Amino acid sequence: MADFGIAAPSVKVAGNKPATATGKSLSVVALRKTYGDVVAVDEASMEIAAGEFVTFLGSSGSGKTTTLMMIAGFCEPDSGTITVGDRDVTRLAPQKRGLGFVFQQYLLFPHMTVSENVAFPLTLRGVPKAEIRRRVGETLEIAGLSGFGGRKPRELSGGQQQRVALCRALVYRPPVILMDEPLGALDKKLRDQLQVEIKTIQQELGLTVIYVTHDQEEALVMSDRIAVMRNGLIEQFDTPRELFERPRTPFVADFLGAANFLPGRIEQHTDEHTLVRLDESGGLLKARRHQLPSGACVKVAVQPGRLRACATDDGFCTGTVEMATYVGTLVRAGVRVDGGDGPLLRLEVPAGRGPVTGERIGISADPGDVNLFADEQAG
Amino acid sequence: MAATLTAGAPARPRKLLASRKTRVGILYALPVVVYLLVLFVYPIFSTLLLSLKDADGSFTLHWYADALTGVNLSVLFTTLRISAETAVLSLVFGFVLAQAITRLKPILAGLAMLVVVVPHFVSALVRTYGWIIMLGDKGLVNESLTSLSVPGAPFQLLYNELGVVIGTTSMMLPYTVLLLYGVMRGVDRRLLAAAASMGAGKVTIFRRIYLPLVAPGLASAGLLSFILSLGYYITPALMGGPNQTMIATLINQQVTKENQWNGAAAQGVILLVLTLAGLLLVKAVTSLGASRKKRSAT
Repeated sequence: MADFGIAAPSVKVAGNKPATATGKSLSVVALRKTYGDVVAVDEASMEIAAGEFVTFLGSSGSGKTTTLMMIAGFCEPDSGTITVGDRDVTRLAPQKRGLGFVFQQYLLFPHMTVSENVAFPLTLRGVPKAEIRRRVGETLEIAGLSGFGGRKPRELSGGQQQRVALCRALVYRPPVILMDEPLGALDKKLRDQLQVEIKTIQQELGLTVIYVTHDQEEALVMSDRIAVMRNGLIEQFDTPRELFERPRTPFVADFLGAANFLPGRIEQHTDEHTLVRLDESGGLLKARRHQLPSGACVKVAVQPGRLRACATDDGFCTGTVEMATYVGTLVRAGVRVDGGDGPLLRLEVPAGRGPVTGERIGISADPGDVNLFADEQAG
Repeated sequence: MAATLTAGAPARPRKLLASRKTRVGILYALPVVVYLLVLFVYPIFSTLLLSLKDADGSFTLHWYADALTGVNLSVLFTTLRISAETAVLSLVFGFVLAQAITRLKPILAGLAMLVVVVPHFVSALVRTYGWIIMLGDKGLVNESLTSLSVPGAPFQLLYNELGVVIGTTSMMLPYTVLLLYGVMRGVDRRLLAAAASMGAGKVTIFRRIYLPLVAPGLASAGLLSFILSLGYYITPALMGGPNQTMIATLINQQVTKENQWNGAAAQGVILLVLTLAGLLLVKAVTSLGASRKKRSAT
């Protein structure tokens, strides 16, 4: 949660009650789902703690939504178990699981007012009327929707509708709230705002949230931990910082950090570092210590933001800036490395002393920012 | 400069186009307007006049008084009652049928719709005689019931209200099924899944989500079959007894047997007013439904 470096929350919980975790833990063991020959989810396992915000991140077809649907009960797993708290829910119908679900398309009941929508799950549970009124009012207030209770969903904007959907999912304090790309239909600014709101509410109420998205930034901003999924497999399940700084697979390095990949060969190991001879430029690069033996072919992964432009004789390689794009606080540069004919090396450097097109620069990186992966393709 | 060009230029051609469009539109509409004036508006107004004229040509309301008293009034009530029964029954059967069809695979659903609609291409007279053959004392239904030794068989299924309602309901069924099927197809199934995710059982989902969402369709389908039944002639006349005389039959009798045009005109106007009232109700209900649909779309 320390990673959550966002400005002060714009919403307040009524009465500033101390946050007590209302969420429960969730455990998924060896969950598997196939559609014909296609393995949608392959033996997915994870332990999610009570009050944790977990994101399934992946592109479409990665199995993230299928996994969520199995947890929700909309889709039956071929094998594996799902446990909420200490209750096995694997074979239960969705309505028996008592989980909360926020859909991308809001799916508010069009014939009910905002209040009626939020009250709906409470009425199902036989909560007394006065209690319903109190809790609906309280929940709408948390989401900044006080005064909207009498409106019909169609009279609200997309962002407001999704807030109502959120209220409807958390008003009955479900042990786990599942969110399927809830901000996918909103524009960038509103997304940013709602990301903070959802995260704040989640923290204030101690909710366990499982969130599905294909947006890396969204995942990094909101999550305590992220499960990066690909082809039905969980590639890595870790905190945003770990995923970003210590990706375990090239896919994770590429998907989260949009890393540059450079082929090379391990030259030697020191106590703390591994020295890699780059194929293209012939330069020697200091990387994080890796257990692969000397002489092994590796892929070097460095994120654009972790590369530095320096004097031509300081870096691990030199090159010519072929393009430099000013994007506000940053300059994105594409550098043709001397001796290289592959894709341009991408750099993101502070705008103040950004390189200009045609300039010759050296490139350096902190060893801690350089990750090595075994290169299966190379001989 | 570019700004003034783009701001000034499109206004004039658009206006020109609009006026030209209007003129052409009027030209196209002219034949239909003339046709309607001669064959629709004129007859209706002359019927209205006829219903307000006494034998000597003076103004009177006694044709209406006649139409709304005694036997004529009871015929009117019978008409309303049978129409209401037909509306309710065709709604119930139509709902069940449409509901079943929405659950079928697309190809089967298309086939089922065909089965529902195709009988409608057969003349109502033929279909009515078909029912008479089926429902008679020695008809298929009673013969089967007798051979199964169902107590009380054979039943009187013809020349009473039951016969009329069976007949008219079957005539209205395609309308209600078509209308309800459309409305049901328009319901976002994911709303039902959303309700389930919150803990709602099947019955609750049906009662509190599904039914309210198809309610506008139910209302308009019911009203439509009610309106259509009001003026239905062949089936009630052939499948009913003397106690099931409906207003259309009465009008026919007055014109063909008693040559009583003024009274028939008054009853015609009453029927027209009832139908119009029903249509307005349908319109009000469907516009409500449309706004609801828009709501769920956003």
